[in-house]
Amino acid sequence: MSNKTIHSSSGAHGGTPASSSSGGFFRWLAQRWQENPVYSTAAVLLVMVIIQTFALGFDYPSFADWFSGWGRNWINILRNNASVGIVALGMAFVIISGGIDLAVGSTLVAVGAVMMVLINGNANGLLTAIGITGIPAFILGILAALLMGCLIGYINGFLIARSKVPAFIATLGTMKICRSVTQQFMQTVGVKVPREFTAIANTKIGGEIILPVFYWLIIAAILVVVARKTPFGRHVYAIGSNERAARLSGINVERVKALVYVLSGLLVAVAAVINVARIGSMDYANAGSGYEMDAIAAVVVGGTSMSGGRGSIVGTVLGMLIIAVMNNLLNLIGVPPFLREAFKGLIVIVAVLLQKKDKQS
Amino acid sequence: MKVSMNGIVKSFGANNVLRQVDFSVEGGEICALLGENGAGKSTLMNILGGVLQPDEGTIELDGKRVSFHSPAQSLHAGIAFIHQELNLINDLRVYENMFIGREIRTPAGFINDQEERRQTEDLFRKLDIGIDPLSKVSLLDASYKQIVEISRALMMKASILIMDEPTTSLTDPEIERVFDMLRTLKKQQVGVVFISHKLREVMEICDTYAVLRDGVLVSSGLVRDTSIPLISRDMVGHDVRTESLEQNADLGEEVLRLHNLTLEPYYRNVSLQVRAGEVLGVTGLLGDGRSEVFRTVFGDMGKYQGQILIKGSPVRIKSTRQALKMGVAYMPRNRKENAIIKDMDILDNGTIVTLPRLTRMGLIRRREQLEQFEEQRNHLQIKMGSPRDAIGSLSGGNQQKVVLAKWLMTHPRLLILDNPTQGVDVGAKEEIYDIILQLARSGVAVVVLSNEAQEIIRVCSRALVMYHGDVRAEIAGETMTEANIMRLATGG
Repeated sequence: MSNKTIHSSSGAHGGTPASSSSGGFFRWLAQRWQENPVYSTAAVLLVMVIIQTFALGFDYPSFADWFSGWGRNWINILRNNASVGIVALGMAFVIISGGIDLAVGSTLVAVGAVMMVLINGNANGLLTAIGITGIPAFILGILAALLMGCLIGYINGFLIARSKVPAFIATLGTMKICRSVTQQFMQTVGVKVPREFTAIANTKIGGEIILPVFYWLIIAAILVVVARKTPFGRHVYAIGSNERAARLSGINVERVKALVYVLSGLLVAVAAVINVARIGSMDYANAGSGYEMDAIAAVVVGGTSMSGGRGSIVGTVLGMLIIAVMNNLLNLIGVPPFLREAFKGLIVIVAVLLQKKDKQS
Repeated sequence: MKVSMNGIVKSFGANNVLRQVDFSVEGGEICALLGENGAGKSTLMNILGGVLQPDEGTIELDGKRVSFHSPAQSLHAGIAFIHQELNLINDLRVYENMFIGREIRTPAGFINDQEERRQTEDLFRKLDIGIDPLSKVSLLDASYKQIVEISRALMMKASILIMDEPTTSLTDPEIERVFDMLRTLKKQQVGVVFISHKLREVMEICDTYAVLRDGVLVSSGLVRDTSIPLISRDMVGHDVRTESLEQNADLGEEVLRLHNLTLEPYYRNVSLQVRAGEVLGVTGLLGDGRSEVFRTVFGDMGKYQGQILIKGSPVRIKSTRQALKMGVAYMPRNRKENAIIKDMDILDNGTIVTLPRLTRMGLIRRREQLEQFEEQRNHLQIKMGSPRDAIGSLSGGNQQKVVLAKWLMTHPRLLILDNPTQGVDVGAKEEIYDIILQLARSGVAVVVLSNEAQEIIRVCSRALVMYHGDVRAEIAGETMTEANIMRLATGG
């Protein structure tokens, strides 16, 4: 929600509306900046991109070469973060509603495993065994994955909304269960992902593997509209800000809360499909691990309040990019991989400190 | 000790909150600081309490000029500010709360519980307070919490107490308990600034008064030389009416009937009916169960026994959503906790209930949303800047009107208003009464829940008085007097 007024104007009678155009463009920009944390997030990203551009250097024979190098670097960044980026979008809804979803990484593994068992190209593949192969099998596999994602999300949502288990605990539980059960069952199952399936993510467009990025941006665009333009979106904000008032406004709080986790599970399933298609296999012990923390980090860096009620989808995309660009930058200037996580931690803390300053005014 | 504030000026941006205000209070005096919401009372006291700094003007303690840059400095000088929301830690014991942040330590650095307990006991004995220092704060009722908080201030050697609306959440016997303590303090030469909306309490307990209006001190003097009508006139700037307003004479069909509605331990065997066009009052003291009865009707209390009939047909109401669909609207008490969504702007707060109806293909139609809200805004005369401003930028009365607006947009058959004028100033109160009567005239069945007998008399044609979950009596016309209501509400 980008046009929300965070800073109440100082006078008791309220300030002038943001749309007053008398002061010209800069005045308008300054005002929007103050009202909306997304602008400062975007500014931070811009600064980082400039530094990154310099770090990449200009040591190229021609501008075209430089540009294609720069662009390729960017495509890499975006592609590597598309899956987490999609998961972070769901996390944003969860956090805005006042909750948390720690189960995303393990859900990704569980969902991925179910799908792989279905589309398995070996003779022991479930669908292959009953004679369904190729595209119909892929469609069924993907549908099953999405359904499974929703189901795990619904279980989380049910525990949290109906049984009143704290979100942190409920999703901590499902997180443990999903990965452990998946690892046990998949121990002896040999899976071969059909080559054709990988086309979902790896088809080259203009010579680059860029499909995952498209998926990410399309989903983000849809979710921006959901957050800002639908009653569901408004209700999520309302519940995160004041659950009691939301209930007394006739909002079905339990249903909305459950749906938020279903949405998160669904997006995780999408990320799982992309990951499996991208890599052609899955490491059940490690795939998706750390996704929950990276997603939360993106949401927080994007200006969303951990206590719920405030935040935005656009901010979450920008937050993800900030973290990604920083990672890239650290790589470019040769910071050892082990240390990069420390910077990630640092930027999350700094982001929250800056938000705190915002709140006080 | 005597505190005097001279020529205090304070503005926030272009908004002049205080203009040359003189105010003083001394030991042994209870001074009422009065005024509507936004008159500048809180700002003035926040300056005295060190929370804010004045733009101009001086503060003197016994003739010596001082300036406070933090609440700690002000407290150190002997001025304690007791806020409306009490600052006690519920899970700790009374004596632990008395020393929170200033614990007495043993030489080894551990907390000296014994000494803390002893000092607390001493103070309670001196002030004649019958609280066990060992009991948990969460087990105390609101008045005792208030008393613990006051005692804590005294433990810190405060000689001037600022109390911000201390009685709003207290029942009558509880208020009496706090007043007893204030009288004791007075004898011990403690000075009290008593911020309140309740003029009758002021007449009872205060010695002097000062009235602020729009940041200007409009009158002050001895309480015994003035009267409630005079003070209220000073507060609003014109005369305040107290007589019963003209009621709607032609009532329509029955909208709500409750038959032996029971939900232990809150209330039992509640039977009543409300007809279209009627304003029914339900009153009582804290803990009478009236809110719970009507929260049940709104689907917010879960399972119940007995019957609810809406327009003659029996219904089982299980959720607020369901109640909303049946044409029931409920404006809760305690606006801040139950009705205001502080992270949302005025427009979203005002349309949150009807949002699903303002959509096309699942998307909210912004123009429709604005139009609907503007209609209510004009009708209710909400004073505000842009609909996109934060809800917190509005005064209490206007916030309340926004909450009312979101319900009126649903065109309810039955409108339940729980403490509709809580935290609303006198002027806005009258406006809300007018709106209530207007709605009744247009055929809405209105139920007003209130703990103010005057409010019930003013807007309701008929009222029920509840006591500890039982309906004691129905009153109307002749029998609807303050004395009668008080008698019934206290179980008499």
